[in-house]
Amino acid sequence: MASSWDEEFGSAGPTEEEAGSDVELLKRAWRNEKASPEILQFQSELIRRVHEQIQLQEERVEEFVNDKMDDLVVSLHQMDLDRTQYLLKSYLRIRLHKIEKYMFHISKTDLLNRLSEQEQIFTQRCIEIMEKHLHQSVLSKLPYGYQSVTKQSISSEEDDMVPAPELDTFVFCKTKSAVGAFQLDEMGDEIVDLVADDLYVLRYKSIKGLVENGQIDLI
Amino acid sequence: MFGKRAFQLLKEQASCEDGQLIQFDQDAFDKVIKECDEHNNQLQSSIRKIEEQKLDIQTTRNENHFGAVIHHLSLIRNKRCLMSYMYNRAEIIQSYKWKNIGRILPREIQKKLNYSELEYFKNHSAVVDSYINELDLDLTVDMVPPKDPYIRVRVLDEIGNEVSLGDLALSLTKDSLHFLRRTDAEPFISQGLMEEFLE
Repeated sequence: MASSWDEEFGSAGPTEEEAGSDVELLKRAWRNEKASPEILQFQSELIRRVHEQIQLQEERVEEFVNDKMDDLVVSLHQMDLDRTQYLLKSYLRIRLHKIEKYMFHISKTDLLNRLSEQEQIFTQRCIEIMEKHLHQSVLSKLPYGYQSVTKQSISSEEDDMVPAPELDTFVFCKTKSAVGAFQLDEMGDEIVDLVADDLYVLRYKSIKGLVENGQIDLI
Repeated sequence: MFGKRAFQLLKEQASCEDGQLIQFDQDAFDKVIKECDEHNNQLQSSIRKIEEQKLDIQTTRNENHFGAVIHHLSLIRNKRCLMSYMYNRAEIIQSYKWKNIGRILPREIQKKLNYSELEYFKNHSAVVDSYINELDLDLTVDMVPPKDPYIRVRVLDEIGNEVSLGDLALSLTKDSLHFLRRTDAEPFISQGLMEEFLE
C-alpha cells in the first residue's frame, strides 16, 4: 500500500514487493499470536524490518508536511503509518500479556526460547517482582515447608502451582496448502483430511505443529 | 469447617466486577494465616505422636496419620486460596499500567491495596517502562485500530491553559472542543480527561 505512493513520488523507499508483503506477514503473525493460547515464536527479522520501515515512513511524512504537500495525501500516508504502527504495537502487547500471565510456566519450559532477548529480560524481571510480592504478603507468613511459590509444599514432587495456558481450546484455522490425512489425537481415533484453503475449527493442541511450520494460519 | 474462611475471601473478590478490586481484607487474610499456623501445629504434633510410638512415618496408617493428612491438605488448600487471592489481585494491578492511569494511582484505588500491592504496582510499571524504552516504542498508546488520524475531542476536566502537544500550544479548558491527532489525545482519553466527540 505505502509503496505505490513511493513509485509516484519517486522516493528511495522499499520496493512494492517487500513493503506490501512485510505488512501482510505482520498481519499474519499478529492474527496467529492473537488466536493462539500459548506464546509463539518471536518473528525477530520481520519486526526489525517493519520497525525500520515505520521510521522511514515517519520521516517521509514529516518531509511532506514541511514541503506543504496536499493535506489529503499527507493524511493518507499518516493513516497507513498508523495502521502499521498499531499492528506492530498490538503484536508486542499481546506477547507481553501472555508473558505476564504465564511467566512461571514460560520460564520453566522451552517456551522461553520463543522470546526475544528483551522479552526474556522482561520475563525475568516480572518473576522477580512477583516472587517478592507473594513472598512478602503471603509466603513468609506460612509455616516452614509451605513457602514455595511454585510448589504447594516440600512434599510436592513437581511444581504444581504453575498456571499454564489451555492448549485444548478450540481455534478457527485455515490451511494454506493441502496437508492430507491428519491425526487429531494420540490415540488415532480421529483423522481429518486437511485440504488446502479450507476453514476448520480444531483444538489448538492438535494443530500446534502445523502452526509452527506455517502450514496453517489461525484466524 | 476447614477452609471456609479462605473460601469467603475468594468469594468476596469474585463478587466484584471484572477488572475491579475490592478493599484488601487484611482481617480475613490474617485469620486464614492463623488457621494455617494451627493446622501446622496439629500436623506437627500428629507426626510427633507417630514418632513417639516408634512407628514408621511413611507406612503407618493410624489415626495420627490420617489426622496429619487432613491438616496438611487443609493447609495447602488455604495456601492455594491465599495465593489465588493475591495473584488475581496482582493481575488486575498489572492491568492498571496498561490502562495508562499514570504513575500514581488515583486515591480510590490506592485505598484498596495493601502496602505490598502498592509496591508491586510501582515495580511492575518500572519493568514495563524499561521494556518500552529498550524498544523505543510507546506501547501504551495506539490501543485501538485507527479509523481516523484526527479526532474531535471534548475536554472533560480542566487540564491546563498552555498545554503543548507536539508543536501546538492548546488551551485545554473544561468543555472545550478540539480537533487533535489521535496519538496526542489518547493518553488523555484513557485517563478519562477527554472524550471522543462523535456526531
